[in-house]
Amino acid sequence: MAALSIENVKKSYGSTQVLKGINIAIEKGEFLVLIGPSGCGKSTMMNSIAGLESITEGRILIGGDDVTHANPKDRDIAMVFQSYALYPNMTVRGNISFGLEVRKMPKPEREKQVLKVAQLLQIEHLLERKPAQLSGGQRQRVAMGRALAREPKIYLFDEPLSNLDAKLRVEMRAEIKKLHQRLGTTIVYVTHDQVEAMTLADRIAVMRDGLLQQLASPQEIYDRPANMFVAGFMGSPPMNFIEVTIQSSESLTISAGDQQHQLPIPQGYDLSNYIGKSVILGIRPEMITEPVQHKAGLPEVSILQLKTLLTEAMGADTMVLTQLGDKELNCRINPSHGVQINQYSEFMFDMSKAVFFDPQTEVLI
Amino acid sequence: MKQSYNLSLSSEATKNLSLLDSVKGKIRRYLQQRSVLQHLLRIVLYVILLTMAFIYLAPLLVMVMNSLKDVEEIRNGSLLSLPQDPSLAAWSKAWGSACTGSTCEGIAPFFINSFKIVLPAVAISTILGALNGYVLSMWRFKGSDLFFGLLLFGCFIPFQVVLIPMAMTLGWLGLASSAGGLILVHVIYGMAFTTLFFRNYYVGLPRELISAAKIDGAGFFLIFWRIILPLSPPIIVVTVIWQFTQIWNDFLFGVVFSGADNLPVTVALNNLVNTSFGGKEYNVDMAAALLAALPTIVVYVFAGKYFVRGLSAGAVKGA
Repeated sequence: MAALSIENVKKSYGSTQVLKGINIAIEKGEFLVLIGPSGCGKSTMMNSIAGLESITEGRILIGGDDVTHANPKDRDIAMVFQSYALYPNMTVRGNISFGLEVRKMPKPEREKQVLKVAQLLQIEHLLERKPAQLSGGQRQRVAMGRALAREPKIYLFDEPLSNLDAKLRVEMRAEIKKLHQRLGTTIVYVTHDQVEAMTLADRIAVMRDGLLQQLASPQEIYDRPANMFVAGFMGSPPMNFIEVTIQSSESLTISAGDQQHQLPIPQGYDLSNYIGKSVILGIRPEMITEPVQHKAGLPEVSILQLKTLLTEAMGADTMVLTQLGDKELNCRINPSHGVQINQYSEFMFDMSKAVFFDPQTEVLI
Repeated sequence: MKQSYNLSLSSEATKNLSLLDSVKGKIRRYLQQRSVLQHLLRIVLYVILLTMAFIYLAPLLVMVMNSLKDVEEIRNGSLLSLPQDPSLAAWSKAWGSACTGSTCEGIAPFFINSFKIVLPAVAISTILGALNGYVLSMWRFKGSDLFFGLLLFGCFIPFQVVLIPMAMTLGWLGLASSAGGLILVHVIYGMAFTTLFFRNYYVGLPRELISAAKIDGAGFFLIFWRIILPLSPPIIVVTVIWQFTQIWNDFLFGVVFSGADNLPVTVALNNLVNTSFGGKEYNVDMAAALLAALPTIVVYVFAGKYFVRGLSAGAVKGA
């Protein structure tokens, strides 16, 4: 039995359809991240799960119970909001225990629960403070505490880290991950930050224009994106797309101006239906590097001369923007390897993880 | 080599220092000139402000002065002269024994009447305004904006227009010429304003607060009572002051709907001024007018700063 199943959910505001038939099922203890650009419907999806918005069509089941038309309070969920939405007039203790109080939990138990959650989140010393007296990170913890206190079936996180500064965000991200591992809770987490999605999720649901693009593990999303949108959206800098012509089942050509470059096709990739046709090659920046010894001579590796347009030192790596014909490619090289701007240098293409898309449908081949 | 380097540094330093001194002198002179001009402007500003304040306060001053004189002194002297022999006789007469129409008990009984009308009317209209505002900002329904727009019309309808329909309605309800009827009229008329105040204040509160409370399991009234109302004191003060002043100072509804037994103080004041045996008692008239105005003045003196604070409080985020 799935902890949460979303069955063919549609939602319209007047004539605008925001959700166009979403199907997702997650297991108990699973961490699902909903991701997509703004306006893709991820927040609407979240609010529909919470019961804050009604859906036009379809069903939502939590723990096997149909809650499509149930009130938020009857769904056994808790939610952490982007703005935290702490009750400004109550102390931290009041904030955490409000939901328990409303649900008529006896006072001694309530006190015990608040203390337990406060210890878990290390906010015991803040219990008597008002939200206005807390820093952003502390408010974030209190908001999580409020959700945790009730021990619901499903936790909903609506971009909970987007109001924190970069350092704190990384800390809290790790904290959420630890918490999930420790408590084994079922979590649906909305974000537009792909690093959060990659690091936190058991599975990622990529959404766009009210449609689910792909629902898979982070690694699968990264390695085998279902279409060009997912490929371009996940990963930073984004995947390079190059129009190529399939020569044979082993090789393809790239035309750059009057030049033709040959690249191998990864083993096991069946492009026999596309021989003689053009397809879109997708290759991640980290697969285009300076020539490295240990890969030299491998069948799926090839070296091309590329002109360097721009370098960006990131510390661990250096991002290089290069030119191939009229196409700009992102490459990722070792910082110790110097390249000259506006000069041609050798770059090694590792095609072992390359993917191909149909130029018309933009779908993975 | 090293020495010459040091030398050149120190000579450079002294040059810089003297340059700094001359700049400092220039700044000081500039500031002195500037401060003389500023002083002058300040004085002009205060003269203007004091003049304006005097013009504004003059009528009040004249009233207080004349309420402390006796009638003879007013009749023989000028209205603007200071009282020769100040006494509170006119005040006590206005309060306890001046004639208002057929009775001669001063305005004291009507004070009580006014409070009997004002207190429930203010309380009810404020509570209803808060609930309306809460619904119209946090629990929007289809057509709620239209509903709010129509309600706002209530702010712009002049008193006179509704007199006859209101009188007929009160007649049907059996509330004509009663305190209850007058309270109802004030509640209805004030609700447009109180709703506007509360709705605009609540619109500034984050909607996610309500979502969070709903998920926590709270319902409509619990959210209002536990979350929204505790955030409302600034706007409650504004609304109470506004409603108190409006209803206390109302004359027209009072004279039309109250009936003989419930006349508010404003109507009594009018009767007092218009009732004269022999000569006009300006001192009593003025003392009575001051007495009638006292409650609103007291409210402003004690809650005025909250009023100003509350008016701008909508701009402050609740979270």
